[in-house]
Amino acid sequence: MITEKGVWNRLRSRLLFTGPTLFAFLTVMIVPFFYGIYLTFTNWDGISTTHTLVGFKNYGAVFKDTEFWKSFGLTLKYVLFTVILINVIAFLLAYVLTKGLKGQSFFRAGFFLPNLVGGIVLGFIWQFIFNNVVVYLGQKAAIPLLSASWLSDPDKAFWSLVIVTVWQYAGYMMVIYVAGLMGVPNDILEAASIDGANGWTKMRKMILPLMVPSFIVCIFLSLQRGFMVYDVNVALTQGGPFKSTELVSMHVYEKAFLARDYGLGQAEAFVLFLLVAGITLLQVYFSKKMEVDA
Amino acid sequence: MVGSKSSFSWLKFIVLAIVLILFIVPFVLLLINSFKDNNAITSNPLSLPHHFSFSNYKTAFDEMGYLSAFMNTFIITTVSVLLISLCAAMTAHYFVRNNTKFNQITFLLMVASMIIPFQAIMIPLVKIYGSLGMLDSKWSLIYMYVGFGSSLAVFIYHGFVKSIPVELEEAAMIDGATRTQTFFRVVFPVLMPTTATISILNVLWIWNDFLLPSLILVNPEQHTLPLSTYSFYGTYTVDYGPLMAGLVLTILPIIIVYLFAQKYIIQGVMQGSIK
Amino acid sequence: MKRFKGIQLLVLSLLVVMIVSACGNSASSSNQGSSEGSNSGKDVKITLLNSKGEIQQQLEEAAKAFHEDNPNITLEVQAVPNGGSPFERASALYAAGNPPTMIMLDTGDVEKFKDRILDLSGEKWNQDAVANATDFTTFEGKNYAFPFAIEGYGFIYNKAVVDKAVGGNFDPSTIKTTNDLENLFKQIEASGKKALVISPMDWSLGAHYLPLAYAGQNKDMAEVNKFIDALKAGQVDLASNKVFNGLMDTFDVMMKHNIDSASPLSGQYERGAELLGKGEVGIWFMGNWAWPQISGYDTANKQYGFLPVPISNNPDDYGNQEISSAVSKRIVIDKEKSTPEQQAAAKKFLNWLVYEQKGQDFLVNKMNIIPAFKNITLPAADPLGKSIQDYIAKGKSEQSMSLLPADHWKQVGASMQKYLAKASDRATLAKEIQDYWKNVK
Repeated sequence: MITEKGVWNRLRSRLLFTGPTLFAFLTVMIVPFFYGIYLTFTNWDGISTTHTLVGFKNYGAVFKDTEFWKSFGLTLKYVLFTVILINVIAFLLAYVLTKGLKGQSFFRAGFFLPNLVGGIVLGFIWQFIFNNVVVYLGQKAAIPLLSASWLSDPDKAFWSLVIVTVWQYAGYMMVIYVAGLMGVPNDILEAASIDGANGWTKMRKMILPLMVPSFIVCIFLSLQRGFMVYDVNVALTQGGPFKSTELVSMHVYEKAFLARDYGLGQAEAFVLFLLVAGITLLQVYFSKKMEVDA
Repeated sequence: MVGSKSSFSWLKFIVLAIVLILFIVPFVLLLINSFKDNNAITSNPLSLPHHFSFSNYKTAFDEMGYLSAFMNTFIITTVSVLLISLCAAMTAHYFVRNNTKFNQITFLLMVASMIIPFQAIMIPLVKIYGSLGMLDSKWSLIYMYVGFGSSLAVFIYHGFVKSIPVELEEAAMIDGATRTQTFFRVVFPVLMPTTATISILNVLWIWNDFLLPSLILVNPEQHTLPLSTYSFYGTYTVDYGPLMAGLVLTILPIIIVYLFAQKYIIQGVMQGSIK
Repeated sequence: MKRFKGIQLLVLSLLVVMIVSACGNSASSSNQGSSEGSNSGKDVKITLLNSKGEIQQQLEEAAKAFHEDNPNITLEVQAVPNGGSPFERASALYAAGNPPTMIMLDTGDVEKFKDRILDLSGEKWNQDAVANATDFTTFEGKNYAFPFAIEGYGFIYNKAVVDKAVGGNFDPSTIKTTNDLENLFKQIEASGKKALVISPMDWSLGAHYLPLAYAGQNKDMAEVNKFIDALKAGQVDLASNKVFNGLMDTFDVMMKHNIDSASPLSGQYERGAELLGKGEVGIWFMGNWAWPQISGYDTANKQYGFLPVPISNNPDDYGNQEISSAVSKRIVIDKEKSTPEQQAAAKKFLNWLVYEQKGQDFLVNKMNIIPAFKNITLPAADPLGKSIQDYIAKGKSEQSMSLLPADHWKQVGASMQKYLAKASDRATLAKEIQDYWKNVK
């Protein structure tokens, strides 16, 4: 604990050290957040100069908006698959790439590449790939599965979203797992080998428990990104075909801006926040518990 | 015995190489097609360009207003990244060294705010800052990046500051240095690797960000690279050639930096994750 | 010691700069407005938010030409980013306190901006506008918007293909019923081409095709509005509605002969223009705005025209011989942030378009717009615009639905896509449309 002498000095360092950050944080995050909550109690349409308070009407409408819950359900499915696939692939890559393989840093760099570009850009690239490249290949090679654009079929469009998301984040999570794996002390593993433990036993008994902190971070990050995905959704499928891939962020955005129902859109955004907060807190809570147990 | 082991590792190498190609192929396709015209792109997206014509790049360069967009993006990214690192490091340091209830709660609030979806803030943010007449300016955008970016940065710094022995600072203070002097002379240099990590994460985020700048920067003269690339999407149609070239031009600066600093970037991300 | 004070100072001044630059910005932007005001008679800069992306370039050229005629006025044309609606962009700009001088809006959005835009009732062009052109933008007797373009849609045919199919000079007026249409499809197929392509975009199906079922209910617009009110009240049973069923019978025929019937949702807009222009299909459901794209592939020597979408097998039923058209884009002038000089300059630009030869030339020949003004006698420059004009001149036009709710195209378009992909049947479609209307605000 560091403290200055005198109230004035203490206040001055507090302001200097935390003032700019907290001021920006409060005015950019917290104030708009609460103002947004206020707006959920109004009937503002996004443009008119006036709005009136409508009480809890918008929240009632959230629960009646079946489309919202449908897209939330779809988002849950999307999050489930992306979280599992991202983490499995990332972990496997990281595992292989910490074995001292030739060119492993080159591989790591390559797998990380997709993280350099933003969602709009890679959404576009992949739209081009699914609509043009894959179809071209499919027609040339007469593979029925590939001859029609995946983005025009509800199920395949969903999987296209999953594929692109996994492609985007696997490299990032891989790097985190690599960091975790490098922290697993080698001498323990060697000792285990001498004791006759095979690869799988070592993995289950020693590596995985030691990797729990990395898993927590990666699952947290992929959960959070999964729930909030927007730009890939917009750039890749626009929610189509027939709204079958409209994830929840996009639904909220369209309620507010397209249907001109700002209050309802904001209320849905707030309900979404509560749900996501609940899920991620549960995740952190249970994995912390696991960490302690392990 | 040895032979089987090495053939196994060759197998692994080949599988890895195939996976890597899958990861990189989208970029290669983008590059190839950026040299072709619309017709050639749609009729065979896999063919190599017949001749290397930079006309798409010229169109993209002119229509995007590349130089101005690049400068805007560059200024916004560097200033935001520097400010976030500086402000967040100071705040995290203060929080760790003055571990009062109030500071703990503030810290927790910042951490908790990381799960607020941007969509929940977006519209009120525009409404508030619009009524203050603060939109359509780089500086407002930078200010917002500081607000949005500080939570994660404070969170990461917080973990690292804790690992710095407090004795180091106490020694400096006994020598008569103030807290500010101690911070800049002793703490900030020690935090350099963390600063690098946070800067890298923030560069990747801010350079490519689309939604926030699209709301804040209205005037075309203020546009950043991702925004100006977007102008190639027509109402009904997409002119693929220039768009591809535009996309290449947008990601090129960051790819170049990556080629040179790849090792540090990966290390940076790695360090960011071990708290 | 002094050095460290310096750093402290640096940090503080950075903070100050940050706050000052942020506040300073607000000051400078409001200054800008007033300084422009005081410079009246000198240079005025005005902006137009364009929401017809396909004429962006032509508008920019028009702005240059306008500047040559009026050297003290500079017009800058901004584009609505694709994927965003003009409403979304305009409301963001208003929220940002930085609206453009002129905004090109869709008809239904004008009313929302009523309090922020200029009453244009006093402008001369109101008298020269075609009948009913400003009805939807007139509130309490005041007209708030400039009718920019008439657009129409229906089946576009490639004359070279259909001529060959019917063995002679194709006469579009011979197609008056769903059966006539199907015969034409079969004739085209017999000639070795594919009959038609359905472009599956939600806006095409949801904002253009399906609304024919509303507009075709009655020749009298007041009756159509009553029908919409009844839909909102949940009193319409579409499944037993004659026009809806007739329209969907035609759609079934279209689906049967669609070149993409194996994968009906994968086509994109560009593909329709390409197939029709190259003559691989004879017919495409689209509007006159598609000319620039079709002409890029044209193989029929610019011989194209429109067929109405039949809704029954009785040639005299309303809608079977009428082409759907309406004023689809409106320009409004901001009154909140723009100075009187800017407003005057904006009005001048609108008058320039209507009354100056150069302006008319840009409108009709460069932008391929069908103007909504009687005094402009230039014939449409492209075959599609000309075809629409002919239908209107013969009185064979049906008012398109201009005031549908803002998300109608997306929601109903999705239901139509589902039907097109055979993922739902007509009863489901009817129910989804009814549900949409019941819940709409």
